[in-house]
Amino acid sequence: MTDQSTPLLEVEDLAVEFATPDGVVRAVDGLSYSVTAGRTLAIVGESGSGKSVSSMAVMGLLQMPPARIVRGAIRFKGQDLLTLGPKQHRAFCGSHIAMVFQDALTALNPVHTVGWQLTEALRARRKMSRREATTRAVELLDMVKVPNAKERVKDYPHQFSGGMRQRVMIASALAMDPEVLIADEPTTALDVTVQAQIMTLLSEIQAERDMGLVLITHDMGVVANVADDVTVMYAGRAVEQASVFDVYSSAAHPYTRALLRSIPRLDRKGAGLEVIPGRPPDPTAVPSGCPFHPRCAYAEDVCRVDPPPPQHVLPYDRTAACHFAERVREEGGAVR
Amino acid sequence: MLQGFLTLFLVILLLHLLTTLAIQLNGNPAQAFFGDRTPSPAQLAAVEKRYGLEDPCYDQLGNPCLGPFVDRLAAYASGDFGESLRGREVTDIVGTAAPNTLRLFAVVAVTWMLVGMTLGSIAARRRGKPSDQGIRGLSVLIDALPIFVLLLVYKYVFSVPLSKWAKETFGSDSLPALLFKPSFSIDHPWATLIVPGILLGLAGSAAFIRLVRAAQLESYNADHVRAARSKGLSERHVTVHHVIRNSSIPVATAVGIIFTEALAGAVITEGMMNIYGMGGVLWKAVQDSDVSVVIGIVTLLAVVTVIVMIVVDVVYAALDPRIRYE
Repeated sequence: MTDQSTPLLEVEDLAVEFATPDGVVRAVDGLSYSVTAGRTLAIVGESGSGKSVSSMAVMGLLQMPPARIVRGAIRFKGQDLLTLGPKQHRAFCGSHIAMVFQDALTALNPVHTVGWQLTEALRARRKMSRREATTRAVELLDMVKVPNAKERVKDYPHQFSGGMRQRVMIASALAMDPEVLIADEPTTALDVTVQAQIMTLLSEIQAERDMGLVLITHDMGVVANVADDVTVMYAGRAVEQASVFDVYSSAAHPYTRALLRSIPRLDRKGAGLEVIPGRPPDPTAVPSGCPFHPRCAYAEDVCRVDPPPPQHVLPYDRTAACHFAERVREEGGAVR
Repeated sequence: MLQGFLTLFLVILLLHLLTTLAIQLNGNPAQAFFGDRTPSPAQLAAVEKRYGLEDPCYDQLGNPCLGPFVDRLAAYASGDFGESLRGREVTDIVGTAAPNTLRLFAVVAVTWMLVGMTLGSIAARRRGKPSDQGIRGLSVLIDALPIFVLLLVYKYVFSVPLSKWAKETFGSDSLPALLFKPSFSIDHPWATLIVPGILLGLAGSAAFIRLVRAAQLESYNADHVRAARSKGLSERHVTVHHVIRNSSIPVATAVGIIFTEALAGAVITEGMMNIYGMGGVLWKAVQDSDVSVVIGIVTLLAVVTVIVMIVVDVVYAALDPRIRYE
């Protein structure tokens, strides 16, 4: 294991806005996180909570305009990527940070063979010859356990099943030997048994290569199995950041608690699924004060006024953006 | 292939039925051979026999005349496409007219590709910016000016002063003088075809620009393009191998459709610019009720169209592995 104290990827106070016809929307607001080698950070949140946008910002894939990075820093081993130009930013990410996209069917180009796509960057950027590239493509497919790799490099994405396609996607992300892998809901488009296989594969590869892994998901079950640290996002803000053990044993933010309670459970069969009342906030009209207050069981008058609640620093190096973080945490044991 | 032959057969059959009906309604075209003179019955019968019009079915309204149809198919199969009212072999007419049409088409195709691909790509790349809006405006403007209006304006407003100026400046047989010559010259088939070809190409490129733009825009926003960018590839590489490559699939499909449009445009262009091509000959043959020539040329055009459609299908399959035919 490399030194755990120096993070590979650090995001600090990141804020991203989008110009829309209905006005400026702040998709990410003051997000900070860090990933170290060999560890997995799960970023959890509902659709529209800003989790995908923040990873697009890290990769330099936001379309600007309409997007705009208002403030913040994205550092890789101390190098601030936002001070590089957009071209250098992407080129830098290409060699150090890789991304696995949600839907492998659309993220792989249908008109090129899998082998061609796996080694595209190697050929274009590292001037690898075609023959070397084919050998490398077979290696990569072997690494992600695609059977009969030698034959399959010549196939097109549509000739693969959903799970195999996602394996190809992972192989393609590994081609440039990245140090950090960002997986944006890598299992959402797959059925449950395949989901488990893909998650196992990701964990194995991560351990083998000592990579930092950022796992973006809305599946709290997946988080429990693979994550080391958890960042819970709501309306563009990190509402709780803690180790996976702390989150599951004693969630300190009411939203995290509500998320955990909405996981289907075998021992509560027939009791009906717990849901969080209301809907995620409309990004053009985020509620004043704590954005979660209209849906929160703990909300009091203080939650309804601006500004948003402070990040309470709790024991064991964890934070929660709630006025009543201590109280919620103490009651946290009631979750399970 | 089989579908192509079937289409071809249906086109010839339909054409036969229509001409038969026309003959039955309007009277025997053998009459046209004599112009204003009144032939003796023996002369008329001789002419009818010569052009295969002696079958009594041509006098019976509603009779499909399948006998002569089968005879014609047999003749076509043996390479005999009949002769015109003036006694010239249809194959001979086509042999001299077709090269000019092909030249016109070559100019049209190059114009299309250059104008459509370039402007469409620029518009997609600079979506929403002034250059995009300008290009879209231009394509609507071209659409608002049909090919015959473009040609009329060119021929009667620009061509005469331009060619006059070019003749005085460069000499009457110089390239610029030929380029702007208001009508086709058989001695300079390329030079006198370029401007009409470019105009016809421009008229067709309007729809093509919008199509290329739409296809590329879709590609620019596609997930796989974003994934390619995430690999740190240069924008140029992404554009060439992912955006343009993928948008070439819908574009290839459209080429077949625009081709048939250009075929119709070619008839008009050849007629207006006095180009001795397939369109011009067809135009004349219809006016003269020259049945053999009309049927011969339309059959040939149908053959060409079917071949183009087959080529488009093959190209389509080559471009898109998802629909490769086993």
